[in-house]
Amino acid sequence: MILCVDPDEDGRAATAAALATAGFDVREVGSVAAATDAIEADGGLDCVVTEHDLPDGSGLDVLERARDAAPDAACVLFTDTPIERVDTAAVGDLVAEYLSKSEPNARDRLVALVDHSLAFRDQTAYPLPDDEDARIAALDRYAADSETLDGALDRLTELATALFDAEAAAVGLVDAHEERFLSCVGVALDALDREDTVCTYAILDEEVTVVEDTLDDPRFEDNERLRAAGLRFYASAPLETPEGRSIGTFCVFDSQPTTFDPRQRELLGLLADEAMEQLELRRRLRVDEGGEGSD
Amino acid sequence: MTDGYGFPGLPLADIRPGTSLLVTGPIHEGSRDLAVRLLAGTPDEAAIVVTTNQRAARMADDCRRMGVATAPERTAILDCVGTDGAGVNAQVHQVSGPSDLTGIGMRYSDVHAGFADDGHGRVRTGLFSLSTLLSFSDLRTVSRFVHTLVGRIDSVDGLGVLLIDPGSHDERTVRTLAQFCAGRIQVRDGEDSLQLRARGLPSQSRDWQAFDPLPE
Repeated sequence: MILCVDPDEDGRAATAAALATAGFDVREVGSVAAATDAIEADGGLDCVVTEHDLPDGSGLDVLERARDAAPDAACVLFTDTPIERVDTAAVGDLVAEYLSKSEPNARDRLVALVDHSLAFRDQTAYPLPDDEDARIAALDRYAADSETLDGALDRLTELATALFDAEAAAVGLVDAHEERFLSCVGVALDALDREDTVCTYAILDEEVTVVEDTLDDPRFEDNERLRAAGLRFYASAPLETPEGRSIGTFCVFDSQPTTFDPRQRELLGLLADEAMEQLELRRRLRVDEGGEGSD
Repeated sequence: MTDGYGFPGLPLADIRPGTSLLVTGPIHEGSRDLAVRLLAGTPDEAAIVVTTNQRAARMADDCRRMGVATAPERTAILDCVGTDGAGVNAQVHQVSGPSDLTGIGMRYSDVHAGFADDGHGRVRTGLFSLSTLLSFSDLRTVSRFVHTLVGRIDSVDGLGVLLIDPGSHDERTVRTLAQFCAGRIQVRDGEDSLQLRARGLPSQSRDWQAFDPLPE
């Protein structure tokens, strides 16, 4: 969903129409308050296009709220306000696009900008795997009714904690914007924004990933979610589909930094393979039954 | 607009429009000079240079020295240092500081749109350097900024040149930022001369090759 924020009803309607014509699902509002409600109410926010001057604040306020609620969303200031009057000094870490409405064919340019940003997801704070689109497509085939798997995966994560003398273990699927956990032992993990999870980086590698101390790694040292969960040590092996797509990870954690030797890496890889096998068997069963998850 | 960006006098083949390069190497050993020189293009090309730690006048001098012909109609310097640009033969635009990544990105988009309106469809973009940005913002924020900038350069068929001094950062930081760029140019001081090596770019030699940083 694209949220289009502009107090000028005619201009907003024209912008929304241009985006809708390009095939996007657009929602229109005219103030910071209404935009905030829409951002907080909707889970599927892909993009915000906002004017700068709003009756109850600034478009930058809207973009900050969007960045907070949906960190991967494309944020665009589409405005009559000249760039010299846009004061970004206090929101330097927001990162957003600027497009002046006074440009020739401004709405065509906006559609092109939004189209590219959503296709390539280029406002994420983390690198995407080269095969991201195929990976997400593969993931969708395994995500259906994962509840039936809990027992099998819970046994594996429990075994992992004992095997590695680790405090916690989990099996997580990394979807387009979040990691969702199919099994957790020793730690309670809700869905995490993708930019907050170590697994986001782990799926970039085909091999086992080991972070001996998250506080001593520039990618995670400022990560408040990890700190709050008390996760210092991290190791994971990718869950790889038969076609070679990394759809998630089998991971172990500890609150103390530690090391992980080659044999442990090998064993973690075996656990990941076993978890993936369970997912694959469930998927095939659904296909045979003619249910969801078929190719 | 399918012609690649060329680099006369350097041991690099033309590079496909839309590509961004991470240039890595010790700043004082030629990597900065090389990165600036990669912006030297044909007269129909424009250049946008983001300077994070040098005054606009110094940046313009470096451009001239490295063979980048500057002129207000085809060169823009985004200055994060706070100089007014008086006497500089280029457009100079102020950004509040190197921690204002939003301001750099938005100003960049606006300047680029201006060049496009004036018929400069081909734009080379230089950022000198990511090392400064990393000393003011965390890796996650710099990652988002780089991802967005590189995406923008890709969408407008530009050329991006981003400089980083790997000696100042953890190897995982450099690797993460490199993952947003299509290619990487490494620079080192060889026995008799400076050397460069391309990584991740099709149609480029993968060996170390000598180069002379100064144009003829």
